[in-house]
Amino acid sequence: MATAIADSVVDELVAICGEEHVFTGRSALFNRARVPAPFPAHRWDAHIPQAVVLPVSAQQVSEVVKLANARGIPVVPRAGGTGLTDGAVPLRGGILVDVKLMNQIKEIDLDNRTVTVGPGINMLKLSEELRRYGFIYPDNPASYPCSLVGGRIGTSGWSLIGGRFGHARDLVISFEIVLPTGEIIRVGDGGGPKVRKSSSGFQLKHLFMGHQGTLGIVTEATLELVKHPEAEFSMFYAFDNYMDAWRTCGELARSSVATLAGVVLFDEWKVAYLRRDDEAYIPQDDSAKAVVAAAAYGFEDELRAGAKRLLRIGQASGGKYMGDEISQGDWWSRHDRYATPQHGRTRDGQVALMSWHCEDAAIPYPELPKVREKWHAIAAGLRERFEMFDDWGMFAYTNGAFKPWGDYLTEIDIGIWESKWDEESWEAWVDAKRELARVSIEHGGSITACHGSCREGEVDLVPLEMGGGFEVMKKLKRVLDPNNIMNPGKYLLDQAYEEE
Amino acid sequence: MLGFRLSAQTPPEATRVNDVVLTRLEHIYEIDPSLMTEHVRQQQIPNWDMRRIVDSRWEHLHWMQDHFAERALSGEELLAEIEKEA
Repeated sequence: MATAIADSVVDELVAICGEEHVFTGRSALFNRARVPAPFPAHRWDAHIPQAVVLPVSAQQVSEVVKLANARGIPVVPRAGGTGLTDGAVPLRGGILVDVKLMNQIKEIDLDNRTVTVGPGINMLKLSEELRRYGFIYPDNPASYPCSLVGGRIGTSGWSLIGGRFGHARDLVISFEIVLPTGEIIRVGDGGGPKVRKSSSGFQLKHLFMGHQGTLGIVTEATLELVKHPEAEFSMFYAFDNYMDAWRTCGELARSSVATLAGVVLFDEWKVAYLRRDDEAYIPQDDSAKAVVAAAAYGFEDELRAGAKRLLRIGQASGGKYMGDEISQGDWWSRHDRYATPQHGRTRDGQVALMSWHCEDAAIPYPELPKVREKWHAIAAGLRERFEMFDDWGMFAYTNGAFKPWGDYLTEIDIGIWESKWDEESWEAWVDAKRELARVSIEHGGSITACHGSCREGEVDLVPLEMGGGFEVMKKLKRVLDPNNIMNPGKYLLDQAYEEE
Repeated sequence: MLGFRLSAQTPPEATRVNDVVLTRLEHIYEIDPSLMTEHVRQQQIPNWDMRRIVDSRWEHLHWMQDHFAERALSGEELLAEIEKEA
């Protein structure tokens, strides 16, 4: 456990944020020591912050960061804490900046179709407010009800309906960020905060998205408004083999139906898992071995035309329409995957409490069948050695924004009986994550489409994936954060300082 | 006014659905209790509570869907239209 922070630092934090917004008690610190990703529970106290602050303004954030920079204290930004790659985990203790109080809607501009918010607002709550005006903010991760805008920017996350509306990087027009040295800047495509397309200078918005809190703390964001869709269509087709499902998935994704928001492919392992525990799949015919789902949004007239095109592809594919109840109910449940039951099976079939973990590579469509085989072999190796792991199957989701074809967010879900962790099983897990990542890169993909890749195991291969770009990452980190105080220990960026 | 009656709230005998799943109430499934003996024990739930849990789930799903669209189109109806148009 990290040692207590000096009283003088606490006093300065209180002077900046006010006594009611500075916490050094155990519950405040412990509650911000981890994220929902599997972590070595047997070493639960390894990454506890020394102080938590909940600032209410960019100026306060800036002052906290300047203090940390002057004293050489780590600073870790945290929004919802729902990320799956440890971005919000304070690897080296320090001051944790929790942005949840910065959750205001500052402006709704219906003419420019923008909304400007603090980083602590949640997408579900934001969309509920926007409904009064007939709009939503359509960033829709599996953590839609619990993740926050600031975390979505720090992660550059993926959205379930990104094929229609774009992902976080497409939906965030510009944002204000406090740099590791305390300066407050605004980044976007260029020009004013509501300009969507500019050619001025470097495209800094992308640099400051997806850095997992290593380059600064977002304090305000201007986001896209989208009209609340009049109608939704979702369809699920069952197949008696994976390859037919894979072909149909590709055909749907390439259909060019403008209202299409995404296509999902479930493999044999996933269907087998669902058939033992999910009320929608249990009554399905034994011949169902793989599933393809598609969803679309728009005005009812355009949606009906597009839906019929998608259904004709489904009907011609040899698959079987699974009915409205599963097509609608299962799709709706995908907006809130953090609420799914968490139990798995031991090797003899006994139920055990397990938590969910998924790897989330970006894999080119032609490579999906091979990657699936290799990934399941890695998961089988884990389960053979340790009963605490359970292979819950794979999904592949279309990954492109606005044009949902090409590569897929490819996930393997692994149930983990976390109370069984010990050093040996943790090391085996980290090795497996590294091997899963290696397969993704070998098949022309990326380690991650959604979560980020700074956890143990996978992070070792980031230099391989990034190539020369990793050297640029290190140089940028060194320039922007000369004292390595901003979320240190992530993304192997300590190397930037070792080479001095 | 009659209140709780044990017989009315006791789930009926189970029917096997597959190797690992049973059912007692329509459209409601449960894990075979023999698979919940070592690490997690199954609980007895009265019928009203079981139905409440299932109804709440559907209520949650409708509420969630409402965030994203005014209404959902029926694939079954659209397929019937496609068949008629053919």
